[in-house]
Amino acid sequence: MTAPTAFRQQLLSTIPRLRRYARSLVFDASTADDLVQTALERALAHWHQFDQRRDILVWVISIAHNAHMDDRRRRSHLVNVEPLDLQDGPDSVAAPASDPGLRMDLVAALSRLPVEQREPLLLVTLEQLSYAECAEVLHIPIGTVMSRISRGRVALRALLDGHVPATPTNSATRSLRRVV
Amino acid sequence: MNTPDRDDSLPDQLSAWLDDELTPAQRAEIDAWLHEHPEDTARVRLWAADRDALRARLAPVAEEPVPPRLEHLVLNHTPARQWLTATRLAAGFAVFALGAVLGAATAWRMLGDDDGPEGASAGWDRRVMGAHAVYAPEVRHPVEVSVVGATAEDSRAQEEHLSRWLTKRVDRPVKLFDLRAQGFELIGGRLLPESNGPCAQLMYQRIGQSAATRVTVYLRKPDGTTPAAFKYERQGDLGMFYWVEGTTGYAIVGSLPREQLLALAEAIYKQVG
Repeated sequence: MTAPTAFRQQLLSTIPRLRRYARSLVFDASTADDLVQTALERALAHWHQFDQRRDILVWVISIAHNAHMDDRRRRSHLVNVEPLDLQDGPDSVAAPASDPGLRMDLVAALSRLPVEQREPLLLVTLEQLSYAECAEVLHIPIGTVMSRISRGRVALRALLDGHVPATPTNSATRSLRRVV
Repeated sequence: MNTPDRDDSLPDQLSAWLDDELTPAQRAEIDAWLHEHPEDTARVRLWAADRDALRARLAPVAEEPVPPRLEHLVLNHTPARQWLTATRLAAGFAVFALGAVLGAATAWRMLGDDDGPEGASAGWDRRVMGAHAVYAPEVRHPVEVSVVGATAEDSRAQEEHLSRWLTKRVDRPVKLFDLRAQGFELIGGRLLPESNGPCAQLMYQRIGQSAATRVTVYLRKPDGTTPAAFKYERQGDLGMFYWVEGTTGYAIVGSLPREQLLALAEAIYKQVG
């Protein structure tokens, strides 16, 4: 049985916020929309698993999170370069198209946070999920949500103040493991 | 305050306080703490400012119109399992259709390569402009072989190497044209695949300027051998002159006004003779 019209309408209403969440995860607009598309396809294929008492946005975001993690795992054997690290690299082409409205410092700093901190921070500040909803989306305990958000805030502020932590990914991943 | 390990958990508590995730009792405790510790109050204020900045920066994405393909997907999507049988039926047809498409593509290519005498087969002009658009803006890797050496001697040796290599691969003399009188200097070259064999690309840039103004020159085996006079084409910013002289097809591409590009083409033409 295909998804009923009412469900499709509900799902349709989540797209703007789902796109915003995806964009904050992967930054590049078309990659983000690909992620949104994957999440929507999965949601439509599993519509019967959606509990109508729940917030559909939280449900779809959690699907998008899983899809993103699957994608990262698939690519983990490849070198992972965050697109924003490339902005001013010596290999760039001349005069890259720049968005004058882009607040580079903030977004660049955000992109340098390890995804384990960036995701809960964004879910709570940007999407305004509760810690409990965030824990559900990320499949981690509430206490972990709390500590990752606070460490994300400290790290973001340090980056914005111009303190660049050494190898953000490695050291952050290692210290994260200790917390979990 | 009766919290011996306050230091460890304090950032978490302050952060949760900001997110309004504390119980009333915890909240009262942090309220009191902040009252006595202005430095922590300042810290939380900065976090709140970061939160507001993040919201302001990313909020517009949610206001963008929903891409039609996503809307279409949600309204019309049928889960994969539903059309599995249909897919199997379709698979047989698809193999047939693929054959037809490949056939058509081959025919198209052959037609494209077969418009002889003017020396620029359909598509060659577009491919050459495409090559210019891809390589000319490169800051660090504009060419495969650079002739920009540390010393004049180095440059000379590189030029010789480039000329010999391209001549061998393109199978016709590739002369490194001197366009300095027109204000352009050679920075190097590369080999490009063409439908009828390798094609040489030479890259020049305005003397004393960086990537801003570059022109590329192409040499290859022409499809026909009839000499052809200068032809001009324009696509957006890019202009192109191409002609056939002897057994070589030439082209020059750049985002320059027509007269300037023509002056360069004529300089090359004179040096060929």
